[in-house]
Amino acid sequence: MSTRAVARLGEVVLGAVVFVAALATWEAWAHSAASFYFPPVSEVGREAVDVWPSADFLSAVGASLKRLAAGYAIGAAAGVAIGLAMGSSHRVRRTLGPTTEFLRALPVIAVVPIAIVLLDDGDVMRIAVIGFGVFFPVLVATVAGVRGVAPEIRDTAALLHLGTAGRTARVYLPAALPTIFAGLRTALPIGLVLVVISEFTGTGNGLGVYIWTQQFVFNAHGMYAGILFLGLLGFVLNGLFVGLERRVLAWHYEAIGESLR
Amino acid sequence: MAERVARDSRPSAVGEQGLLRRANVTGLLFALGLLLIAEACVRLLDLSDSVAAPGDAAGALVQGLADGTLSGEVATTLSTYVEGLALAVGIGVPLGIAIGSSRTVESASSVVVEFLRPIPAVALIPLAIFWFGLGAPMLRFLVAYAAVWPILVHTVYGLRGVDRMLYDVAATSGVTGAARIARVSVPAALPSIATGIRISAALALVVCVTAEYFVGTEGIGHYMQDHGVAYRLPELYAAAALTGLLGLTVDVALRSGERRVLHWVGEERARPR
Repeated sequence: MSTRAVARLGEVVLGAVVFVAALATWEAWAHSAASFYFPPVSEVGREAVDVWPSADFLSAVGASLKRLAAGYAIGAAAGVAIGLAMGSSHRVRRTLGPTTEFLRALPVIAVVPIAIVLLDDGDVMRIAVIGFGVFFPVLVATVAGVRGVAPEIRDTAALLHLGTAGRTARVYLPAALPTIFAGLRTALPIGLVLVVISEFTGTGNGLGVYIWTQQFVFNAHGMYAGILFLGLLGFVLNGLFVGLERRVLAWHYEAIGESLR
Repeated sequence: MAERVARDSRPSAVGEQGLLRRANVTGLLFALGLLLIAEACVRLLDLSDSVAAPGDAAGALVQGLADGTLSGEVATTLSTYVEGLALAVGIGVPLGIAIGSSRTVESASSVVVEFLRPIPAVALIPLAIFWFGLGAPMLRFLVAYAAVWPILVHTVYGLRGVDRMLYDVAATSGVTGAARIARVSVPAALPSIATGIRISAALALVVCVTAEYFVGTEGIGHYMQDHGVAYRLPELYAAAALTGLLGLTVDVALRSGERRVLHWVGEERARPR
C-alpha cells in the first residue's frame, strides 16, 4: 500500500472512530439521564430495525416517494421549459423577471395554507407545493445555463438559420444541461423537505405524517427512527442522482477533463 | 437576428440582480396585469371563498401594518430569526475554520457531519418540541440547525481554496500557525463565508416561518396558520405576500452588506460557480 493510501485509510478510520465515540457518549449519557426525550442509540436502532421493514412504514414511504416523484417531475419540467424561454429571449426574461423574482423569494410555507384552502389537504395540494418549490432552483439554473452559452455558439446557430425550436432543442438545451443538472440536484433535497412539510398537516399517509404522529403519541423512539430514515433517504437519493448525472453528462465531464466529485 | 443574438448575450442580469437594479416597466406591467386578471376573476366568478382578491389582500396588508398586528408578528419572527442565524454563524464559522485548516480535524469530523447534514431541519420540528418545549428557544435551535450547514461548508471550502502563493508569502514573512489562519486564511476565505451566510439566511427564514406555522405561538408563520384555518383569506394572503417581501428584503440587505464589507473582492466572484 502506498503512503497516500495509508493516510487516506487513516482519515476514514479516524472519522469512523469519532462517529462511534459520539454515539457511545450519547448512549452512556442517555442511560444515565434516563430521559424520555433522549432515548439511547441502541434502543433507537432496535426500533428502526423493527419499524423500517414493517408494511405500514413502507407504505408511508411509498406514498411520500410517489408525491415527490410527481411534484418533482412537474416542477422540473416547468422550470426547464420556462427557463429556456427566459434564457433565450431578452423580452421574455424582462417580462417574467419581477414576477418570478417575487415568487422565488416567497418561502414555500407561505404557499401551504393558500394551497390547502384552494386544493384541500390531500395529494393534489402536496404535489402542487412540491412542484412550486422545485420549480425555482431549476428555473434559475436553466436561465443561467442558457445565458452562459458562448456568443460564438449563438452566432453560429443564427448563421445556420436554426429556428427558435431548433436553436432551443439543439443548442441551448444541450449547452445548458450541466447547469440545469446542478439546479435539479439543488431541487432534490428541497423536494424531499417539501414532502415532509406538506405532510405535517397530518392527514393521510406518508413519512412526514408518520414522524408527526409519533410526536403526538409521544413515541420518541419511533420519531427518531423516522427522522433517521429521512436523512438516509436524502443521502441515497442524492447518490442516485449523482450516478445519473455522471451518466447523462459523461460527454461534458470528458470534454472539460474533470470528474464529478 | 444577429442583432438580437448579440443583445441577448449582453452581460446584463435582470434575473440575477432582482427588482431594484433598474426599472423594468414591461415586467412590472406584466405583474400588475396578472394581479388585475386575478382581481377580475375573483370578483366576477365569485371565488372569494377559495382565493382572496388582490385588492382585499392589499387592504388587509395595509390594515395589519397600520394597526400593528402584522408588523408585531414580523418583528417577533425577525428577532427569532436573527438570533438563530447569529448562533449559526457563531458555531459554523469557527468550526469551519477548524475543519478547513486541519486535515486531522476534517477527517475526525467528516462522518459526524455527513451523517447530520442530510437531516432536514423541518423534520426536527417534532424533536425540537421534545427538547425545548414550545417557544423561542425551540425556534432558535431549528433556525440555527438549518443555517449552520451552508455556513460550515462554505467556510471549509473558502479556507481550502486559499491561494497557495499567499501561504508562501506568509511563510517568507514569518507568519505561521494560528497567526497565518487569522491573518491570511480567514480574510482570504471571507467571500466564501459571506456566500455561505447568504445561503443560510434564505434557508433559515423559511425554516423559521415553517416552524412558526406548525408549532409557533406567535410570529408571521403562526399568523398565517391562524388566519388560514379560519378562512380569513385576505389576511392570509397579506401575510404570505409580506413573507415574500421579507425574504426579498433580507436577500437585498445581505447582498448590499456583502458588497460593502467585501468591497475589495473583484468581479470574478460575482459570476455563478
